[in-house]
Amino acid sequence: MSSKKLLVLKTSDGEEFELEEAVAVRSEAIKNMVEDDCASNTIPLPNVDSKTMAKVIEYWKKHSDEGVKEDELKDFDKNYVKVLNYTELYDLILAANYLNDKELLDILCQETADRIKGKTPEQIRKAFNIKNDFTPEEEEQIRKENAWAFD
Amino acid sequence: MAVESYEIFSGGDELPEGCIANALSLTSPKDACRLSLVDSTFRSAAESDAVWERFLPPDYGDIISRSINGPDSLPVASKKELYLHLCDHPILIDGGTKSFSLEKWSGKKCYMLAARSLKIVWADTPRYWRWISLPESRFPEVAELLDVCWFDLSGKINTNMLSPDTRYGAYLVFTTKSRTYGFGNQPAESSVGITGHERETQTVYLDPQGGRRHRYQVVPRRLGIFTHHMAHILRHEVDTPYEPEGRYPKQRSDGWMEIELGEFFVKRGQEAEVEMSLTELKGGNWKSGLIVEGIDIRPKEGK
Repeated sequence: MSSKKLLVLKTSDGEEFELEEAVAVRSEAIKNMVEDDCASNTIPLPNVDSKTMAKVIEYWKKHSDEGVKEDELKDFDKNYVKVLNYTELYDLILAANYLNDKELLDILCQETADRIKGKTPEQIRKAFNIKNDFTPEEEEQIRKENAWAFD
Repeated sequence: MAVESYEIFSGGDELPEGCIANALSLTSPKDACRLSLVDSTFRSAAESDAVWERFLPPDYGDIISRSINGPDSLPVASKKELYLHLCDHPILIDGGTKSFSLEKWSGKKCYMLAARSLKIVWADTPRYWRWISLPESRFPEVAELLDVCWFDLSGKINTNMLSPDTRYGAYLVFTTKSRTYGFGNQPAESSVGITGHERETQTVYLDPQGGRRHRYQVVPRRLGIFTHHMAHILRHEVDTPYEPEGRYPKQRSDGWMEIELGEFFVKRGQEAEVEMSLTELKGGNWKSGLIVEGIDIRPKEGK
């Protein structure tokens, strides 16, 4: 039986995750590091914490399982994003973006889209803790430019 | 289940603009415009070509290349500007036989088939119909009904020209001259459906007053201090006239009138020809005074 090559992913808070290379290279960023033949099999991920990395790996493992049917994957994806709170969703988007995993990023962006549809700017600011950096004049100008969208 | 209560995010990093743009492009044009008010990063994402490219139909390049004024006549400063222009200013395509626009809220495709592209029985007989130019029309020519007994017009469109997973309505766009006759009492019949398949017909009244019968009330007649037990029928008109079952014209914002001919659903991947028709053949009376601009095909509200 051929032994599968393992990688160690080291997160920003010092935790290490051992993972098959075949699974980890779902991340374009990791794939590039592997192809650049970094001397060590430990890959530092300074922009991802351990809690978020565990969620990313959960997704990768499910999507690397060859025995999983298409419908089962769809159900998994649906449940994977639905249970996330806003902090987790936010952190996962940052991680997927940093790791350059387009597939994961797409489902996270779709979930974000579903959550922001029909919401007011104020509700979005509150959900994602975003500071309104517009002056009252700028705000008025944006409202005027997009008046039809505020009906 | 999605977490509905807003948990305040306490991280330090801002979401990259590209990620925000990606999410916004999966909402709607209305959402994107409204959410440009969140903060400057959201605004920048909401104005980006990446977002508005997704709101434009996939084949918009091909459509605008068929514009009678050429694609260069359209604003190209940004995709958002192009999108909004196509919403507010329908463009004439295919030699002026159709107009194309977008529904602002959804980005779904809308077409109007010009009267010239419709099949109108007797349209080329100057005694019955004539082709005139009206400044208030988007098309170079409209069809004026002079006098026909046999009123029959139809148009066709292929579903692959339209937005998928969308319920469309087809509307005859017309106006009437001061002297219009023949449509008052006799309703016309409209039908919309896939060519070659059986289609349900609807009753339509082209004359805004047509088919509206005055309703008469039975009013008891008082005799002295007693009410006569035999009610006397007075020809007493009620404020709300009786409207028979059927469709009636509505005023459009562009000054024309329209009447719904029917509706149809465009399934994703379906390629079929949809035919819309309007006929009045049963009454046998002569008809005159209608001016036909075309048939408008647009998504039905909220569908």
